[in-house]
Amino acid sequence: MARYVLRRLLQAVPLLLGMIVLTFLLIHLAPGDPIYALAGESGDAAYYAEMRARFGLDRPLPEQLGIYFLNVLRGDLGQSYVQKQPVLPLVLSRVPATLLLTLSALLAATALGTWLGVVAATRAGSLVDHAITATTIGVYGIPVFWLGQVLVIVVAAGLGWFPIQGMTTARTAATGWALVGDVARHLALPATALGLQSLALIARVTRAGMREALGDDLVRTARAKGLAERAVVYRHALPNALLPVVTVVGGHVSTLLTGAVLVEIIFAWPGLGRLLYDATTTRDYPLLMAIFEVVAIGVILANLLTDLLYAVLDPRVRYE
Amino acid sequence: MLHQTLPLPACLMLLLVACAPAAPAPAPAAPGGPSKPAAETPKRGGTLVLGATTDPGQLNPGITTAGGTHLVADNLYNGLLQFDERLEPQPDLAESWQVAPDGRTYTFNLRSNVLWHDGTPFTSADVKFTFEEVLLKFHARTKAGLEHVLAGIDTPDPQTVVFRFKEPYAPLLRRLDVVEAPMLPKHVYEGTDVQQNPANLAPIGTGPYQFAEYVKGDRVRMVRNERYFKAGLPYLDEVVFRVIPQESSLELALEQGEVDYAWSLPGPDIARLQQSPDIRLVQAPSGPGGAYCEDTLIFNLAHAPLDKLEVRRAFAHAVNRQQLLDQVRFGQGRVASGPIASTMAWAYNPEVPKYEYSVQKANQLLDQAGLARGAGGTRYGLTFVFPPAYQRTAEVVRQNMAEVGVDVQLKGLEVNAANEQIFVKKDFDLGIGSYCGGPDPEVGVTRAYVSTNIGPILYSNGAGYRNPRVDELFAEAATTVDQGQRTKLYAEVQDILVKDLPYLWLLENETYRAYRAEVHGLRYWAGDLVETAYRDR
Repeated sequence: MARYVLRRLLQAVPLLLGMIVLTFLLIHLAPGDPIYALAGESGDAAYYAEMRARFGLDRPLPEQLGIYFLNVLRGDLGQSYVQKQPVLPLVLSRVPATLLLTLSALLAATALGTWLGVVAATRAGSLVDHAITATTIGVYGIPVFWLGQVLVIVVAAGLGWFPIQGMTTARTAATGWALVGDVARHLALPATALGLQSLALIARVTRAGMREALGDDLVRTARAKGLAERAVVYRHALPNALLPVVTVVGGHVSTLLTGAVLVEIIFAWPGLGRLLYDATTTRDYPLLMAIFEVVAIGVILANLLTDLLYAVLDPRVRYE
Repeated sequence: MLHQTLPLPACLMLLLVACAPAAPAPAPAAPGGPSKPAAETPKRGGTLVLGATTDPGQLNPGITTAGGTHLVADNLYNGLLQFDERLEPQPDLAESWQVAPDGRTYTFNLRSNVLWHDGTPFTSADVKFTFEEVLLKFHARTKAGLEHVLAGIDTPDPQTVVFRFKEPYAPLLRRLDVVEAPMLPKHVYEGTDVQQNPANLAPIGTGPYQFAEYVKGDRVRMVRNERYFKAGLPYLDEVVFRVIPQESSLELALEQGEVDYAWSLPGPDIARLQQSPDIRLVQAPSGPGGAYCEDTLIFNLAHAPLDKLEVRRAFAHAVNRQQLLDQVRFGQGRVASGPIASTMAWAYNPEVPKYEYSVQKANQLLDQAGLARGAGGTRYGLTFVFPPAYQRTAEVVRQNMAEVGVDVQLKGLEVNAANEQIFVKKDFDLGIGSYCGGPDPEVGVTRAYVSTNIGPILYSNGAGYRNPRVDELFAEAATTVDQGQRTKLYAEVQDILVKDLPYLWLLENETYRAYRAEVHGLRYWAGDLVETAYRDR
């Protein structure tokens, strides 16, 4: 297993390098000039020329790419044009907020989605099944940004059940368990907005997997042995139905990160998605590159984790 | 079977309801409307939460002109002067000043009781250092405006600073507020890389509030400066700037009381907010991001037929600027009449020719220009390049010009790309931008009209306009100290420009700012927004 993990990590290196080259070229070739973020909008031509030379923006693109690569190999991802600080600590400081949001959304979506899928599968053809199916299909089509806005307007502002924005209450500085509670209250709506689509997808996949598993010989055998129905469903059928769910969840991580950008803007959640939005609008190239690299590493690790989870769920899967 | 499964969703909902706070009680009925006079005695204490739509990034306002940074950081610092509500200079770090009769020397007498937040005394050495090592190198507006005219800065004693100019220089007193020239501590920045200094994230200023905490992307927290040099100020215990990028979320947070101040609002909601008893709205032509800004249509004078005056005047009659004000800006501002906003009263010329909305006149002018209508009713087509903020403006312009047979092809680009296409590549027929005149025409008006500023610079002379008389007038106004004489010079230049129409000035921008009714004393026209702010409950 260790050799498999190592091999997968080594395979990821050329993938990461290729991603760096591609994104570097894409963002540098996109129209717009970062010089105005670097030097302000009121400078003269001489000042801009001086700033371009200082930041190497006057060099040919291949040379800029080469310099960037060498710096990356030395562990230097550069300085933010706007914030004038090293980008890596900047990016890493925002990762926990995004991880909290996406993992909360994912865990809640997985738990609830799996449960709904099981309920639908075990009541196949009933009103409950139809209601769950209709709801999940409908919910899956709702755009994340629209749902976020609706939650803000109806649940936060209209009903006043949850805060509208932020990760904590700005007016008071909570600590300890009060801080945990404060963050939890602020997390509820953005996690709901982000996770609902995943919940719908997981419910659908779980239902399909359970229908297949419940028709399997092993389930017939378990019932014949007199096992309680709950044990038949959750201890025998569900583990076999979970493999496609794991595949879906693993593949959905990148979708969640994309959705996180929109959710973080709507709910003013101070995560990586917001940083990406700010960096894009100001053409902060070094910051953009660092964000893409960190996200790419995250997606690669998520895919690896997904594959390892197969081995945990299915004893027949062995990695050499 | 699982039909006896606990109704989990219902349980969850109950849990959520149990955890959620009670909905706020409805506000007592009270008339809304414009800002009311402040309470008799400012109440001390409390925390003010202000909503900002962008993260400041860093907290040194001397190395950037970005409005998002200045909105937050300016409250930690002071300028030599500050502006009153009419944008007239008042004492701040300087308690008095003298201008030599020839206008080449300005002497400022600094207050003697000012301490930096770390307890070090503020002196004239800080002023000299700030200008020479920071502003003239990194503050783009101050650098562009003063670099070539300033002869030197002298500090004969710790409480006196003298600015010497190569020519008489009139606008200096309007360039010394905390937005244009925030004073930075020499003892913190000397000998360091100013742009990388850690103090940019944990600032030391002289301002009414001192730095407490900066959580990137989330908030900046400040606490009262107990040793502030203005007796009795500030009133609040704490000020928190919360970053909320979505305007609609910011507005809702204001209505719910999660924030106390919003510096921009979605236009369609303004009418509704004006009726709210809990919210006060004010309009300001200035703020930490700029002053006296005008939405300006830019004609590329190098592209026919926009080089013809009749065509440009036809635009002036055909574009319905009142419609833009009502339907696009929701009443925020007023119709512009020329290059200087009417709110800059001392410099504004109300007698300039007016181009009233008239489809008939526009058609006549286009006929006179020799642009007859073709078979389909179209005279000619052109391309309008604009950033996303002007999408609706562009659509109205297109609609208006279609009525007179001009086919305006819309080319909306992301803001950086649009600015690059208009100002750098000059690949456009029509462009648009918000030209901010600044507290003095020399700060932000001159740059759009003088022939020496035609180049690949944002908000420069994007039209490529050349008029030697206009160049002369602006140069003379910059070196004339007497305000009455300057008024006459600017009056003449406005008359020429409005007749020549190198641009079409659409609207004077006065964005609404909104704040909770229990908040008073906000200096919403200036960078030092919260110096005199307080809550009455």
